[in-house]
Amino acid sequence: MNDSMSIPHLIMNASLIVQLVMLLLLAASIASWIIIFQRSIALRRAEKSYRDFEDRFWSGVDLNELYRDLPAEQESLGAEHVFRSGFREFNRLMPKTQSTDAVLEGVQRGQRVALSREEDRLQLHLTFLATVASASPYIGLFGTVWGIMGSFQSLSMAQQATLSTVAPWIAEALVATAMGLFAAIPAVIFYNRLSAHAGRLLGKYENFAEEFHAILHRNLQGRSEREAS
Amino acid sequence: MAKRERRVGYGWPVLLAIGVHIATLMLTIIKWPESEPDPTSSSVVQAALVRAETATDQPQQTEDSAPPASQPEEEDAQEPEESAPAESSEEPAPDSDAEVTDSAVEEAKAEAQRLQEEAQRAAEKRRQAEAEAEKRRQAEAEAEKRRQAEAEAEKRRQAEAAAEKKRQAEAERKRQEEAEAEKKRQAEAAAEKKRQAEAEAERKRQAEAAAEKKRQAEAEAERKRQQALAERAAQANNSSLDSMISDEEQSIANAKQASEAANGFKNLVRRYVEQSWNVPSNASSELRAIVRIQLLPTGELVSATITQSSGNSAFDHSVISAVEKAAPFREMRELDASVRGRFREFNLDFNPEDIR
Repeated sequence: MNDSMSIPHLIMNASLIVQLVMLLLLAASIASWIIIFQRSIALRRAEKSYRDFEDRFWSGVDLNELYRDLPAEQESLGAEHVFRSGFREFNRLMPKTQSTDAVLEGVQRGQRVALSREEDRLQLHLTFLATVASASPYIGLFGTVWGIMGSFQSLSMAQQATLSTVAPWIAEALVATAMGLFAAIPAVIFYNRLSAHAGRLLGKYENFAEEFHAILHRNLQGRSEREAS
Repeated sequence: MAKRERRVGYGWPVLLAIGVHIATLMLTIIKWPESEPDPTSSSVVQAALVRAETATDQPQQTEDSAPPASQPEEEDAQEPEESAPAESSEEPAPDSDAEVTDSAVEEAKAEAQRLQEEAQRAAEKRRQAEAEAEKRRQAEAEAEKRRQAEAEAEKRRQAEAAAEKKRQAEAERKRQEEAEAEKKRQAEAAAEKKRQAEAEAERKRQAEAAAEKKRQAEAEAERKRQQALAERAAQANNSSLDSMISDEEQSIANAKQASEAANGFKNLVRRYVEQSWNVPSNASSELRAIVRIQLLPTGELVSATITQSSGNSAFDHSVISAVEKAAPFREMRELDASVRGRFREFNLDFNPEDIR
């Protein structure tokens, strides 16, 4: 291989539109990798904090105490957020109404809001990954087709078309497709992986919400029976 | 602390993403130039390695050979010491003195033999090590030679490839030259053919002109004969048979006259056209154009089109304009109806030679 066929040389010699396509693909690739790393770290931390919280929750601690221990601001995330919003609703409704159904309904509503917020947070930016995964091969293909068009136009000027006159042009054009695939493949893989991870975490949150709801229901049931007796 | 952990910033992800891209870029960049100076760099490195090994081997060998040489001396020195305590320990038993001394001597001998054997073994080992080192050195030298041969072969192959390429380029050039020569030859052949065709046409035209002249002469002779016949008929006016014959002959003469008139009309047209023809100054005698002329029965020009172009558009244009200028041909009305039909459409051949 001579120097004129090296990849940087090919990129520098490409036509303006092909270079723009390559630049776009490079930007998409960098952005998708940023999201891949950010989401991976965030999801791993969310899973870890969920496990810690679950341990604390099932360790037999008093729920009031647990509620007081948790950070009071809106900062709480994940299962803590679900627990906090449910328990806050429970505490607010208890003095106001005697109806168990009303209290439980309020708790459920608060938990549902918290869950949808959590879902939103977990799947943040994942749609961008999906977009890169599906669009960048086409963008790369566009660059290639444009480059090959240019190569054939310049080929028509040439007296004789040997392989050595065609090859550099086509190699240059194919770099765009290679870059498109380079951006798309990690995006596809990590989109599937991360969205599965987020879905799993969300399922755990929902299970926790149901369990918490069951605990509250049991307590209320006991209280109403005591009051009735 | 728990809060800080939960919020994931974008600083690290950005750094990692850029790192990933730089790493892949490095892979693509580094891979390419590496393949090129591969043979030179490897040979340099290997040569240095070989020298380093030989340099370190020799001191090791001298060190190896030094201890065995000193060891026997030491053991020799130790020998008397060892035998002296043996004697001293055996002094309390003077009865067996001779035996003891004998055994001591034997022991000393055995000891000496053992030492000798050891020395021999050590020498043997040393020799083997040397042989091995020698073998290793030879193997290395061979490997080096092989590597150099390979590098040379590689160089030769490259040179051959270059020569091959040059030969191909030369062959290509030759082929192009041949193609050009071929083209030229074809062009020459075409020119030759054209010239021959022209010569042929010229000959035909001359033959036509000769035939025309002959025909005119014949017509003249015929007319003279007819005049003579008419005179004779007038002289022998009383004979009805004669008059019948003369009638017949007159009709024949009329037909002849008609054909003559037709020829005359064609010549007339040609003359008119030639008179109004402005031959372009650059027109050579090789140029030749055939014009198809269509006329009305009154002699008006309907159309004049080039059926065989001369190849020179200025020449063609001048021909067309000459015909248009020469029209109308009023003589057409004087022709017989049968003859006139023939001249509704005819071709005219233009050649500058006709005029000059």
